[in-house]
Amino acid sequence: MKKILSLVVAVLLIAGLATVAFAADYPTKGLTAINPWSAGGGTDSCLRAFTAALEKQLGQTITVDNRTGASGVTGHEAIADADPDGYTIGMITFELATYKALEMSDYTYEDYDALCRVNTDAAAVTVNAKWASDNGIADLQGYIDYCLAHPGEVRMGGSSSGSVWHIAGGYLMNATGIEIRMITFADGAADAVKSAAQGEIEGVTVSLAEARSFIESGDLVCLGVMDTERNPAESFKDIPTCQEQGVDAVYATQRGLALPKGVDEEIRKTLEDACAAAIEDPDFVAAMGNMGQAISYMNAEEYTAFIAQAAIDVPAAMEAVGLL
Amino acid sequence: MDWSLLFQSYGAVFSSVQVLLMTLLGAMGGVLLGAIPGMTATMGVALLIPFSYGMDLIPSIGLLLGIYCGGMYGGSISAILIHAPGTPSAAATLIDGYPMTKNGQAGKALSVAMFASFCGGIIGALIMTFLSPLVAKVAMKFTSAEMLMLAFFGLSVIVSISGKSIAKGLISAFFGLLLCTVGLDPTYSVKRYIFGMKPLLSGFSFIPTLIGLFAIAEVIAGVERIINGEETQMKNSEKITNVLPDGKTIRQIWPNILSGGIIGTFIGAIPGAGGDIAVFVSYAFNKSFSKHPEKWGTGIPNGVAATESANNGCSGGAMIPLLSLGVPGDAVTAVLLGAFIMKGIQPGPMMYVEELPTVYRVFAALMLANLAMLLVGCLGVRLFAKIVSVEKKMLYPIILVVSLLGAFSINKSVFDVGVCVLFGVVGWLMNKYEFPLSPILLALILGPMCEQNFVRFVDLNQGNFWEILHHPIAIGFFVVSVATIVFSIFNQRKINRLESQGVPEEK
Repeated sequence: MKKILSLVVAVLLIAGLATVAFAADYPTKGLTAINPWSAGGGTDSCLRAFTAALEKQLGQTITVDNRTGASGVTGHEAIADADPDGYTIGMITFELATYKALEMSDYTYEDYDALCRVNTDAAAVTVNAKWASDNGIADLQGYIDYCLAHPGEVRMGGSSSGSVWHIAGGYLMNATGIEIRMITFADGAADAVKSAAQGEIEGVTVSLAEARSFIESGDLVCLGVMDTERNPAESFKDIPTCQEQGVDAVYATQRGLALPKGVDEEIRKTLEDACAAAIEDPDFVAAMGNMGQAISYMNAEEYTAFIAQAAIDVPAAMEAVGLL
Repeated sequence: MDWSLLFQSYGAVFSSVQVLLMTLLGAMGGVLLGAIPGMTATMGVALLIPFSYGMDLIPSIGLLLGIYCGGMYGGSISAILIHAPGTPSAAATLIDGYPMTKNGQAGKALSVAMFASFCGGIIGALIMTFLSPLVAKVAMKFTSAEMLMLAFFGLSVIVSISGKSIAKGLISAFFGLLLCTVGLDPTYSVKRYIFGMKPLLSGFSFIPTLIGLFAIAEVIAGVERIINGEETQMKNSEKITNVLPDGKTIRQIWPNILSGGIIGTFIGAIPGAGGDIAVFVSYAFNKSFSKHPEKWGTGIPNGVAATESANNGCSGGAMIPLLSLGVPGDAVTAVLLGAFIMKGIQPGPMMYVEELPTVYRVFAALMLANLAMLLVGCLGVRLFAKIVSVEKKMLYPIILVVSLLGAFSINKSVFDVGVCVLFGVVGWLMNKYEFPLSPILLALILGPMCEQNFVRFVDLNQGNFWEILHHPIAIGFFVVSVATIVFSIFNQRKINRLESQGVPEEK
């Protein structure tokens, strides 16, 4: 019995060594994808849809591991601290750029090797329809004029404190010179949207997808999308961007795949190629379309530059909303 | 109300083999998941969503609703049998459920819980079918001011669940409220009482704390009893001849079920308030209007009925804002919202206009999910009740391992296991010195809700709290809260007086 056991152990050890020795054979076993956010949320559905497409490319299963807690810090650190053998990947999100500034974690984009950007969702300036018509606000310029005339009076909801939509308010203020009050909703964007529809606050700076049901019902009206292009979805395609209206405010949350630092170059290349192919997978494209999440691919090099820039821009906007 | 369309939808759902099968599977999975401390219905629904990608909408919604309803009942099984609420919504069930087990009535407690769960679920589904637009309209009136006062109302229930000493209950509650302040402040992201421990950024994780306070504390107490030689095998003389409660019991508990179901549905319909709050409110409400408040907490079926009907009523209630406003009523429906959107359907006001057949089919699926839960429950009662006949020396280690695993699995964090053990010791000590544990739990649930809404309300009104006078619903809740406190203090005095006179035990 003992002999068999030691034989098994030996075989396993050799197999283990083999995977390290021959990176060309990668991958020889299943991968783990760490998600810093909880199961069922926007990041989760995006990651699960993408890993399903990635599985087809790699020929191995990918298990999603939700390491939640501490506003995403736990999961982001787990990705950076993972064994750099190429068998642990993870989804990094917008929030990574905020941790250092909030003194929540010492980890920055420099602790990861980016693989690709998968998705971005643009913020949008959406206000209570009744409030807008009562004050004669028909477009973004009208909104800005009103805010300039009433500094510090307009209350905008932006999801939880330090979240992407909360900081979106800072971008809007920096881009237009207006002064609005950002109200936090610890339970998330849905709560903020409901509050705006009730008229408790004047508007929200969350994504279109999150405000969709109340925009469709006419309780809320979107004045401008903080994106370079209009949202192509049927119910959104008539909503102008901020840029079209002369306001240079472009701001979006972003999600991408990353590896811990120090993964073998060949393995990294294999994964980058697999990502580039998976992003065009028809099932993935269809799933993202249904969820109203935009696919906005960037390769490893572009994405690395992108998150480096975010590490400078995001703290500046956080200062504007009074987070720092 | 389009009757023919409604009947058509019910017909379509109930005659589809795939839907029936999926709902039944969901209910089985839900009961099992719910019964394991640390595995919640939310988790089950989230884990199964990827499997439902390939299915049509209604079978996949049936599957998920099956888990939801099953999980709500499943949580009560471990609460009743081993003093470990399987889900937060079952936390109030153990106040009377566990004493029933100790009195040798485990089977009866389980069947009452099942029957009440089913009736509560049906009440919720009926209200959802017929009153959705109305309830949604009321729910839309709940802004920060109303939520603040609703949380305050929830806290006013503490007196009623404090047991013998109101002072000790209040001490427990304030201890719970203090625990809520640990972690990042929800409004300004200020770090509070972290002491350099990163896992504490999001505060003490709720489920590990819950498991520690109840399950681990009970294990420690049990081991202590074994060492002192006091542990006796629980009486298990009862023969379970009928898996459903008998007519006499039903006559005794039906008012509790009815009020519990209605309270559960309405609290569930308010976004941000869920089953965990509803059960305590229902328990306190029913205790206040009981002719024998002194018996509540000693193991009477009414206590189990009041709470279990409330948490299953919640499932119907929480679906109302989800479908008619696109705003999820609790954590499970938040995950369900994702499932609808995956299928290309956006719940919200327009759904009632454009997708009415789908809405009706979801109503039918919820009804079906409750039936499936009843079926699974009936088949399982005898089996579940056997747990109490397991020898204690065997049972405690198993509970310990399952509980610690549950604490770990929520965030896959060893730190949480530590939290669980810590609160196990705290819970054991509090029990020893007769501090009630339920107020801590209620404070943990309502503390963050109070804080967030208070700070937001003051922030919205630039520091002027008296703006709240413009919110009639909020004032209403405040008045009811004060009345509840006064009433429960008088009630408690009455109980203490009755007990000191020594009332003879009623058969």
